[in-house]
This record gives sequence, C-alpha cells and structure tokens, in this order.
Amino acid sequence: MTKKIFKSIMVVAGAVLIASLVIIMGCLYSYFSNVQGKQLEDELSLAAIAVEKDGRNYLEELQSREYRLTWVAENGDVIYDTQSDGESMENHADREEIQEALRNKEGKSSRYSTTLLEKTLYCARRLNDGSVLRISVSSVTIWVLVLGMIQPILIVVVVTLILSGVLASRISKHIMEPLNRLDLEKPLENDTYEELAPLLNRINKQHKQIDMQLSELQRKNDEFAQITYGMTEGLVLLNEKNIILNINPAALKLFHTKRSSIGKDFLTVERSHNVSHAIQDAFSSGHSEIRIEREGKEYQIHVNRIESNGIVIGAVVLAFDITEAAFAERNRREFTANVSHELKTPLQSIMGSAELMENGLVKSEDMTRFVGHIRTEAGRLVTLIDDIIRLSQLDEGCDMPFENVDLCEIASEVMAGLADIAAAKDIEVALTGKKVYIKSVRRLLTEIIFNLCDNAIKYNKNGGTVEVAISSQENSASITVKDSGIGIPPEHQARIFERFYRVDKSRSKESGGTGLGLSIVKHAVQYLNGKIELQSSLGQGTVIQIIFQQDKSDVVQFS
Amino acid sequence: MRSRFDEQLVMLNKELTQMGAMCEEAIAAASKALTMGDIKLADKVLSLDGEINRMERTIETLCLKLLLQQQPVARDLRQISAALKMITDMERIGTQAADIAEIITFLDGRTGGECEQIRFMADAASQMVTESIDAFVKQDVVLAGAAIDRDDVVDDLFLQVKSSLIKLIAEKPTDGGYALDLLMIAKYFERIGDHAVNIAEWVAFSVTGEHKGA
Repeated sequence: MTKKIFKSIMVVAGAVLIASLVIIMGCLYSYFSNVQGKQLEDELSLAAIAVEKDGRNYLEELQSREYRLTWVAENGDVIYDTQSDGESMENHADREEIQEALRNKEGKSSRYSTTLLEKTLYCARRLNDGSVLRISVSSVTIWVLVLGMIQPILIVVVVTLILSGVLASRISKHIMEPLNRLDLEKPLENDTYEELAPLLNRINKQHKQIDMQLSELQRKNDEFAQITYGMTEGLVLLNEKNIILNINPAALKLFHTKRSSIGKDFLTVERSHNVSHAIQDAFSSGHSEIRIEREGKEYQIHVNRIESNGIVIGAVVLAFDITEAAFAERNRREFTANVSHELKTPLQSIMGSAELMENGLVKSEDMTRFVGHIRTEAGRLVTLIDDIIRLSQLDEGCDMPFENVDLCEIASEVMAGLADIAAAKDIEVALTGKKVYIKSVRRLLTEIIFNLCDNAIKYNKNGGTVEVAISSQENSASITVKDSGIGIPPEHQARIFERFYRVDKSRSKESGGTGLGLSIVKHAVQYLNGKIELQSSLGQGTVIQIIFQQDKSDVVQFS
Repeated sequence: MRSRFDEQLVMLNKELTQMGAMCEEAIAAASKALTMGDIKLADKVLSLDGEINRMERTIETLCLKLLLQQQPVARDLRQISAALKMITDMERIGTQAADIAEIITFLDGRTGGECEQIRFMADAASQMVTESIDAFVKQDVVLAGAAIDRDDVVDDLFLQVKSSLIKLIAEKPTDGGYALDLLMIAKYFERIGDHAVNIAEWVAFSVTGEHKGA
C-alpha cells in the first residue's frame, strides 16, 4: 500500500517537475533568444552606418569582445574580421546569412558548434556598395542552461522523494486505519468507506454460507459420534499416514488411551508388533484380521482399507470382544475331545477283555471275572451316554412340565437309593427339614439332588457325614448338601461345573464318575431358574446350596 | 526442504517406536518362556533379536543420513543424537533377551520356581522397558522418571536372587549349574533394567535438553 502510494506520488511529482521545467525553459529561452536577435540587429544597423561612413577604420578601431564583425565583399571574400585575420579566411559566399543578405538586403542564421554547447547567431546586411557586413554573437544553448540547473533540480528531486515517502506512509496509514478496524465478524455493522460496501456484503454472504456448512458438518459429526459412542466394538479410523482420525470410547478403553490421541500416529497408542503388522497388511492387501489378548480378554481385530476413487485414504480398525465366544468355542472343542475320550476308555477296556477271551487266554475260572468286567464297563458306558443325553436334553431346553413337588420327599427317595454306597464307605447320611412344596420339575430335582449327594458321598472320607437340609424362606426354597469330604481347592471352584472337568484327573476312574454330574446339576438348576452357591475348603468339606426363587403362593410350607 | 526433513523425523520416530515395541515383545517373551519353560517362545525371542539388529542398522543409517544431509540443530539434533544412543540400548536389550532365551533352552524345562524373585525381576525389567518405550512414544519425562526409579527395585531383586541362589547351592549342590544359569538370567534382567534406564534418560534428554546421567 505505502509503496504504491509512494510510487504514484513520485510519478506525479516527476511528471509535473519535468513538464514545468520544459515549459519554463522553452518560454524563457525563446524570449531571450528573441531579445538577443533584436539586439544583434540593432548593433548591426549601427555598425553598418559606421562602416559606410568610415569604412575599414571603424572596424579596426572597434573594440568589442562580445560581438564579432565580419565585412565580406560582394564576391564573398572577407575584407576584414574583428577577431581574426580577414585575408586568410576562406570565401564566405556560400554562408546562408550572406547569401540571404545579398538577395534581400538582410540575412539571418544560427549554427551550433560541434559540441552543441554553443550556438552562434549571425546577422548580415548588404551595404550600399554591395558588400556585406555580418555580426555574430555566440550564446550558450538550452542544454548548457539545463546542465547548469542540475544541482537545484537534484535537490528538488531528493526533497520530493523524502516528502512523498513521508506522505505516502501517512496517507496509507490513514487509509488503512478504518480498514484495520473492520469487524469482519459482523461485516454489515461497520461504518467505513462506501467503496467497501460490496466487499462487506460479499463477506457477509460468505459468513452465512460458512455458518451453514459448519452446522451441517457439526450435525454429521454428532451423528457419527453418537453412532460410534454407543458401540461395544472398538472403532478407530486412520488416515493413509496411520494418523488417528477418530476413536470411540470402547477403543479408548481397549487401547488404554485418551481422546487426545486423535491426530497422533496409531503407533503411539498401540505399538505391538502384530497389530502394526496387521495394519500394514490391510494397507497393502485391503483386509486383515488378528486376535489379541488384553487383560484376560480376547479381541478379534479387523482392519479394512478405505479407498476413494482407487486412492487409499485410510483404514478402519474394528475390535470385537470375543472372550465369551472364544471361551464357548474352547469349551465345545474340549467337550468333543472329552466325550470321545470318555466313551473310548470303557470300550477299550471291553475290547481288551473280549480279545483275551477270543484268543483263549482266559482260564475258565477267570471267565466270570472278565465277563463281569465287560458288564461293568458296558454299564459305565450306558451311564455316560445317559448323562450325555440328559445334558443335551437340558441344552436343547425341551419342555418339561412344572408341577407341585415336595423337596423333602424327593430328597429322601434319592438318599434311600444311595444308602448302599454310603454304607460301603461308612458314611452317615442325614436329612433335615420339613416338607416344602414348590412348583418344579420332579425329574430334574431328582437329578440335582442325586448328583449332589452322589458327589458328597463319592468325594468323602471313610466314616464321614453328608447332611442334606431342606429349608424355605418367604419366597424361596433351598436345598443344602453339606459333606465332610476332601473339599475343592479354590483354583478349581470356578471350573467344576464344566463338562468333564475333574479336580483330580488321576482319580476319575476310581470314583467311577462321568465328570458330567455337576454339569447336569448346573444346567438343571438353570432350567429351574435357581442359583448355586458353593463354599468349600480343602480337607474340610464342601457346602453346595441350591436356591429356588418362588412366588409366595407357590411355596407351600407345612409346619 | 524443511517439510522433507520433518517427514524423515516422523519416520525416524515411527521406526524407533517399532523397534521399542519389538524389544518389549522380546523381553516379555523371554520372561514368559522362563516362567512357562516354553522353548518355542525362547526360539521366538532369538528370531526377534535378529529383527531388532536389522532395525538398528536401518535406524542408524537414517540418523547418519539426517545428520549429514540436514545438519540439524537444537531440538532436532537432540532428537537424532538421542535416537542414535537409544537404538544401541534397545539392541542390547534385544541381545540380552536372546541370551536369556538361549539359557532357557538349556534349563531342560525347569522354570526357576525355586527362586521366586527371579520372576519378579523378569516382570519388573519387562515393565521398565515398557515404561521407557512408553515415555519415548509419549515424550513424557515423568514416565521416564518412573522407569529410572524402578531400576532400584530390579537391583534389589537381583541381590535377593543372588542370596537365594547361594542358599539353593548350599542345600542342593547338584543343582549348582542350574543355579548359575539362573544367576546369569537374573544378571541379564538386571542389565536390561540398566538399558531401560539409559533409554529413559535419553528420552528426558531429547525433551528437556538435559541428560541426567551426565
């Protein structure tokens, strides 16, 4: 701004200076040369009169420095010259002013010297005798004058420069001040130059447009945030340089980071080798997935490349919590493996005995023992298959009728059935409690109590006790089985309800269980909407309580 | 020119982070291999060490190139020189993790259960490495300080391991070789702790311009 104003001031000042210089010099110069010409003519006429009267004598006596007088004969020969020797001078007949004077009585001309710095004015007059008298004077040319004025002109130029510089900066400051004070937030409320009105109008329009676009953007952003905020899956958006564009709360939790990580490299959040490898893979091949473990949970991570018009613009990282699925999958795998193993063991044993008998290696007196062995193992197999069928029935959740049953009655029935085994181990079995009727499934209750008591006896010390207590509260009924057995180590307590899970793997055969008992109990209790509570200390015994929540009306208590 | 330099610095940071992550993985795998007696994991540590060494070469070349071509000053120079120093420590961590893994393969599946402190040491050293790398990634001087402080814990544990191993030898002279192997492992963990401290100090240097070790 200042520069431009300065330039224009300088151009104007320079133009004015030059123009006025030219005009003034031109006027003055022409005026002075006019005056000089007239003077010259006057001098000549005086000199002409004198020469006609005195002839050569006048010229010889004339002492003039300023003027030079030349007397030229009619044929052009120089008769006399006041400043040089006339005789030696060349013929002047071809000079313009002489020719003119010979023709018209008077003649005039001017000639520049070779350097252009001097100009000689000539004036000639024909005398009565036909000869011509010429007067000449040399004067400086206009250029000399201009040259002489250079110093003051330079001073003027310098002063103009300084003045225009100062002026320019002041003017631009003055012009800019209201512009700088403009409030662009509210462009129409400014009181400033009229010329700015269209600009301010345009800014105002753009403001409105920007506001609209901003709110639209904000809305879309909010939508996106709301969608991703509630997701249980972790979601991270990356740009093509692996910088985090967005990360949802689930992902923040998974990767242990804060929202401030947005805008940083994903490496700073998660630098483990396999994750960064998976992201690289996704960038190069489009998709990759891996499983990672974090704090005891398993996550499946999918990484997908995002493309737009064939250009890679980023990647989406999605993390699913697959802990339960992985757990279920592992359980299923284990179950299959266990079932086949458990089914095979008795069969193997049957086959072994049968093979021995087939090859006649069994003495006839041992035959009964071997056949008995085959029968026991087959019975074991049947029990196992029965258990598996029961479990799968519970798994399928087939409908079983709910009826009013007496817990006490079922318990005493079951305990009567187990009396023999208990007696074999010299275990005292006791049932306490009154009749409690609840709405339930008789078969499942029998199953539950049988398995619990069976375990209580099986995993008991010789001469131990098993106490079964039936009790009822206002809106619940419970069965408690307490034994004085070997107890369950704490690290196994969480797993004993799993299928085929055994605390002491080496004892399984000895105790004759299938490993499915507690699993059946768990499923049956689940089917009956009950709850299992387990308390156990190693060597002290185990207490398992099954609690059934019942509507008040369904619990019938007889006191 | 500057933007290219910035890009290269970002790249340097990335590679350093990756190398740090590999170190973390190597020491975590080494301590897991020890506690589980898992020879396969020990093999993985050995292959990780190879990768860490290659990474060191790459980063070293990049640093030297940056130093020569860009002639960085002030903070940039600090960052690059700290990187040059850090990769040496990271490489040592990788190598020592590999050394531990190698000893584990000779332990015949024994897991150092006789000397519980060695497991604490493994955990503490592993955590120190994680903390120092974390400090680098987040450029966090406080975290670097935490890593440096934890070194005392590791040093204490080393002394405890030593005395419990002396007891082990006294009680069961036939296990002398085994005890010495465990001592070597403990020493390596202790050294890894020291390298983690070095890394943390260089992180602090590249952020603040002051090196505590000096």
